[in-house]
Amino acid sequence: MNSIPAKNEFAFSGEIGGNIAENIWDSIKSGLILVDSEGKILLWNDWIAQHSGIPAESALNHFLGSLFPDGLAAPFKTALRNVLQHKLPIILSNALHRSPLPLYPLPVAYHKQDRMQQSVIFTPIVTSEKKRLCLIQVTDATLSIKRERVLKSHSERLNKVAITDALTGAYNRRFFDERFTAEFGRAQRQSIPLSLIMLDVDFFKDYNDRYGHPAGDKALISVVEALKSQLHRPTDVVTRYGGEEFAIILPDSGSEGGRIVAEKLRTAVSGLNIPHGTSSVADHLTISIGIVSYQPDTSCNATCFLEAADTALYRAKHDGRNCVRHLVAPECGKPCPVDTPQADSPD
Amino acid sequence: MPHRNSIKTLLIVDDSRVSRMMIRTFSLAKYPQWIIIEAASGNEALEIVDRDTPNYCTMDINMPGIIGIDAAEQILAKYPGIRVAIFSSNIQQSHQTRATALGARFVAKPVTEKSVAQVLEFFESNP
Amino acid sequence: MNSLSELQLDALTEIFNIGAGRAASSLSEIVGDEVKLSVPCVQLYQSSEINADTLSLNSPRLGAVRQHFSGPFNADAMLLFTEERAMEIVHDMMASQVDIEDVAEYEQEAMCELGNIILNACLSSMADMLDLTLNSSLPVYFVGATNVVLRQIISETNQPLILVLHIDLSIEKRHLQGCLVFLLSSSSLQKLLAHIDRFISGI
Repeated sequence: MNSIPAKNEFAFSGEIGGNIAENIWDSIKSGLILVDSEGKILLWNDWIAQHSGIPAESALNHFLGSLFPDGLAAPFKTALRNVLQHKLPIILSNALHRSPLPLYPLPVAYHKQDRMQQSVIFTPIVTSEKKRLCLIQVTDATLSIKRERVLKSHSERLNKVAITDALTGAYNRRFFDERFTAEFGRAQRQSIPLSLIMLDVDFFKDYNDRYGHPAGDKALISVVEALKSQLHRPTDVVTRYGGEEFAIILPDSGSEGGRIVAEKLRTAVSGLNIPHGTSSVADHLTISIGIVSYQPDTSCNATCFLEAADTALYRAKHDGRNCVRHLVAPECGKPCPVDTPQADSPD
Repeated sequence: MPHRNSIKTLLIVDDSRVSRMMIRTFSLAKYPQWIIIEAASGNEALEIVDRDTPNYCTMDINMPGIIGIDAAEQILAKYPGIRVAIFSSNIQQSHQTRATALGARFVAKPVTEKSVAQVLEFFESNP
Repeated sequence: MNSLSELQLDALTEIFNIGAGRAASSLSEIVGDEVKLSVPCVQLYQSSEINADTLSLNSPRLGAVRQHFSGPFNADAMLLFTEERAMEIVHDMMASQVDIEDVAEYEQEAMCELGNIILNACLSSMADMLDLTLNSSLPVYFVGATNVVLRQIISETNQPLILVLHIDLSIEKRHLQGCLVFLLSSSSLQKLLAHIDRFISGI
């Protein structure tokens, strides 16, 4: 716990006078506010003065709550109260609290500007006389977000190699295997629905033969883009299961929702209108889709579920292609195979 | 008006033995003549009220089996004369509103002399 | 001493559930929707028993928020979630405010705050109920491969017992499980238990 030393008892050489402290607070490139247990301002550094447009003389010994015309945001007040009561430090992340205080980028013309994005840290301080104080540190979050973005995209590029398919940008089979096992296990444990789509580009081999492999590659890239364009939840991911086969896991989706998505996918790919002269279904590229939905609290296992998706896809092919066929597990028409060690999810 | 020395029966419903002990201790400190019955779940409480209908009941919310506020609703439906206090660490607004709608009093944990005093005040207050 | 008595576990569970209730309330204020947080189970594990299965954290990577507490006893407290779930919560918490592409940038900060809220609530509840004063460091968030993170946890204690709280968190429709792990030296564990015993005998 930080304690404020008695006058002149600083951690550095005793020759330095008390004025140095003030110079330090005012030189720091982030905001420092110190308040007592009633919210009265004891320290208001230069950075805060500049970015709030309120000079130190107008702030010191006034109450923080009444200093700003719009008052303080509820989470800020709660945080301050909690720190003074429990004496544990608190963070108000920029992610969840964009701009708790009315601070602005320089030069301040605050009637016309958006508030500065901030991160706020509250630190409890107990004085040698046992008085409770709170130090509020405010930093400009804009810079750290930009830096985070640069770092993240670099490391993401490194990570993604292991789990994405280089050609299409979809996730790869390895990713699918892990993700499917996890999601199926979760659906079972939490008794929530889950849908799995298996789809396949119709007459793809013929397309390659007719238009060449580079064209085939381009077509697959377009197909994946079209599929992704119809999926909006971060948890609905497209994976490349085989050459021209793709699997999409839809967590929390039941039959109704899943079917709607499946139809959207079919339409989106058909809508690309990629000419296919040797398809016997249409004059353009189409896909066949099998979708299976998991019923919570039933005894279906992962292997059976996966097979049911294949069965549904097979039916779509058999029924003329460029269509969606749907199954509900475990009513997939055959008994579930006995659990093999592979089928057991590690959850 | 309830006489200060009259014997009342209090049913304490909480899956935490420590909480039950604390509510019991603070209640008996104020009203040593009261009879205390305990239940560790809403389901147990439902069985008990039929056998030994209490005057008062404290009810936790998060317990195994039926959730406390549902148990309270069922108990009050059958025995509207029982005064119920929802005594819980789950302080969400939805529960507080539901408690009030049932005619129950909501008191936030922790179980302290003060919070138990609030509960007891509710029980013994004029209708 | 190999385990906690039923009454000690009960007291701890109750203490942490009260903390959880407070944290849920704070989170609810931020998210603007119902948040449920409870501690269904508190257990003392041997460090040899700590693995992804016992902690129900089956996933290649874990996200952890860590704070160091000091006072009459010292402890490192860590909130652990699978990285996927951590990303999902963060996404849900920021929902309307932030684009999906930007979520990743905010992950670290948002998890820090989430962890800070839960850890502080649990610790302040402990401090209140056991009548003691605890101080804390600021939260730090890190992500790593599951087995690496868990191995590090195990290697840090000087004694084989680790206190683990299993946590259930629901934000809107998303439900997930995590753990809060307490690393205490043997003397700190003894002191904590002494405080708990004092609390129990005072009932």
